[in-house]
Amino acid sequence: MELTINDLKNVRFFDNYTDKQLNIFIGISSIKEFKVKDILFEQYDELNEIYVLLTGCLSLGISLAKEKRIHLGTLEEGQLFSWSAVFSPYISTAWVKATCPTKVMAIDSKKLILEFEKNCEFGFKTMSKIAQTISYRLSDTRFQLMNQLTL
Amino acid sequence: MKDDRNIYSPIKARLTDVIEESPSIKTFVMVPENKFSFKTGQFIELSVDGIGEAPFTPSSSPLITEKLEVTVMKTGYVTEYMHMLKPGVYMGIRGPYGRGYPVESFFGKEVLILGGGCGLAPIRSLLYALESIKDKLVKVILCYGSKSPSDCIYKPLFDRLNRTEKFEAYRTVDKADEDWDGSVGVATTLLNKIKINIENSVAVVCGPPVMMKFGTIRLLEMGYKDDQIYLSMEKNMSCGLGKCGHCMMGEFFVCRDGPVFTYNEIKHNPEIWK
Repeated sequence: MELTINDLKNVRFFDNYTDKQLNIFIGISSIKEFKVKDILFEQYDELNEIYVLLTGCLSLGISLAKEKRIHLGTLEEGQLFSWSAVFSPYISTAWVKATCPTKVMAIDSKKLILEFEKNCEFGFKTMSKIAQTISYRLSDTRFQLMNQLTL
Repeated sequence: MKDDRNIYSPIKARLTDVIEESPSIKTFVMVPENKFSFKTGQFIELSVDGIGEAPFTPSSSPLITEKLEVTVMKTGYVTEYMHMLKPGVYMGIRGPYGRGYPVESFFGKEVLILGGGCGLAPIRSLLYALESIKDKLVKVILCYGSKSPSDCIYKPLFDRLNRTEKFEAYRTVDKADEDWDGSVGVATTLLNKIKINIENSVAVVCGPPVMMKFGTIRLLEMGYKDDQIYLSMEKNMSCGLGKCGHCMMGEFFVCRDGPVFTYNEIKHNPEIWK
């Protein structure tokens, strides 16, 4: 199945992109499907794709040891994740697992960085959105931590 | 005619039902001796003879005057005693006090409600009020977080709202159990899934102080302006009349000037998140 501009216009992460910019994403992306319990990636995996959840449900967490997984939360449709794929050292800070049949858009992160170099406006807009995703995740984690500390 | 009644004297209300919402939260259904009117977001002082009184915001519809519902979390001496009460006993009600939600100013807008924990009690009253004026609203979105699935109160409310035109309701838990297949994470994570026209909306935040703080920060990051955010402040209100000073927050008596404030009104107050 191939992605179209109209598919992306219904996905939150792609709000405010021009059709031309959406076509850049389409040219360097593929759709990947996962079954329940499939692991998309483990913590400390090297990442070369950045993902946007299209449909389905994903859990995110961290590992203390191989068999000791801590579930931190779920991801919502339209959310971007695996942002470590565009920042050195390109190592995942969390694991992500499918908890129902799931479809994601997988964007080749090396090709994406090359597109940033060719088109600075596109790069700035995308990195701003990724920074906002990280900022929200950090804020949610602080909130979670405060909840634990004030129990 | 001059009312000579002592302003601190409660009216009697018969407890007709006690609903267990979660292991530590119960809803008390009362029939006051006289019809009792309040504006959603206002609070009352609820008392038990010989034990004491405590402030609560009603969780029932402000359109119903014959019956009043108050949802109480077991947190201290008075509330622990209340949790032991059985239908048939009498309680005392003073109020209503303070400033509630200005629902008329929500006309023509989208309303985003962010709630956590026992904060859903006053929100339920607000939701009843908004349902009654839904023709005048664009839409209403509820995002609610509780610590665990068993701590989530008013579970049937979410299905009912999702079947109601113009209403959307989402919930999440901080920590899931084996039966939970919904969202996991703090209440603000639900804001990642909603679609709202921020310029034409207002946001209401009600819950524990930590949630109020992080919820407000997130709303500001999303683009809400200070005067678009309404906060329901709980500050140990006692007299309800702006006299005793128990609930003072800077220049404000929360019991008289609140408990509902815009963020703009109190953002510089050092005690805002205490």
